[in-house]
Amino acid sequence: MKALVLDGSREGDPLTPVAVLGMTSALAGRVADVLLFKLRELAIAPCKGCFGCWTRTPGECVVEDGARDILRSYVGSDIVVYATPVTFGGYSSQLKKMLDRFIPVLDPRFTTVGGEVHHLLRYGRYPKTIGLGTLPSPDPEAERLFSLLVARNGLNIHQTVESIVLVGVADPESARSEAEALLDRAGVTA
Amino acid sequence: MNALILTGSPKGRKSASFALASKLAEGLLENNVFVSHEPVHAGLRTEEGTRRLLDAVDGTDLVVLAFPLYVDSLPAPLTRLLELVAERRTRVASPGTPRLAAIVQCGFPEAHQCDTAVGICRLFAERTGMRWAGALAMGMGGSIGGDIGRLPGGGKHILDALKMAAESLAKGGAIPVEATTLFAKPLMPRWMYTMVGNLGWRMQMRKNKARRPLTYRPYSQG
Repeated sequence: MKALVLDGSREGDPLTPVAVLGMTSALAGRVADVLLFKLRELAIAPCKGCFGCWTRTPGECVVEDGARDILRSYVGSDIVVYATPVTFGGYSSQLKKMLDRFIPVLDPRFTTVGGEVHHLLRYGRYPKTIGLGTLPSPDPEAERLFSLLVARNGLNIHQTVESIVLVGVADPESARSEAEALLDRAGVTA
Repeated sequence: MNALILTGSPKGRKSASFALASKLAEGLLENNVFVSHEPVHAGLRTEEGTRRLLDAVDGTDLVVLAFPLYVDSLPAPLTRLLELVAERRTRVASPGTPRLAAIVQCGFPEAHQCDTAVGICRLFAERTGMRWAGALAMGMGGSIGGDIGRLPGGGKHILDALKMAAESLAKGGAIPVEATTLFAKPLMPRWMYTMVGNLGWRMQMRKNKARRPLTYRPYSQG
């Protein structure tokens, strides 16, 4: 099994790197390969909204940058982790710049999922999505919105997801223990 | 009163978001609100542009975020701007309490798919000391193009909703629930939107002379 971890931490963010460390060490005990991308160190352009990835070069973004390697890894992975400081209930801009570039993995045509319209899938299988958010202090509203957002992202690839928000977790051992529980819930076994 | 409209579409003035925001701006101007319009993607490309965006937020009474739904939330550059505004507001002694409203449109037929994005905007306002002034969210945004007048029925209910919203915002109020409901009303039956959309992708491929099939899998052949 392969796992892809997208680290959406911002500069000076003390908690998300700890959560990522906990998650990668928990994954290392269960899967053969763990691939980590620290997004803020990568030049990834914002999505241009041109739909070239659907109507000009189907399946591939027309922009040639670091996003291509990540998409290739994504398609070849069994698990993907979205690690991010919870930002007003959503993702950080660092994680979001990559997620906005994910649309080539979908087929533009419409279908119905859970009673609402989404896109068809381009590939036969997609990695299990796991949301890993961090917050410095409890914020039930932000936590609820984050969980809903990850669940809605799961609908886009026609799957159910797992997510967690680590509140004030600053030591790697606690982060690992939370990650182990999350992976258990997600059915990721060695 | 002055208002700042921040358009969060990479397509700038050619976008559906800009078309919708421009109609709101017209309504605000008619009600004696001075309106300025800033494209976020272009602004964030330079330090000077970023500073101009942040200064503009500091100096306004009303901020309106107008954007397309990207992966159930705000496009990354607009998220970046919210992060920067939030950081700046923690550093300033008296950052003011402007109101914040949003106009969101998505390419799916259902307006409720914008709810998570609206929730993020509302939480941003609440956590940064701004006053939440409501949102207009619609589905079937793919049918707008850059011209609301081309919509079925001339886009009357969209224009009516924008007018109601502008009148209320100009008086210092929030977007009325009636305007939000009207704006969310489907432009056409769902089956028609998806059928036209599915045909549209094929037509666009032909126009672009795409050399691969629509279903091509570049990262896993077979």
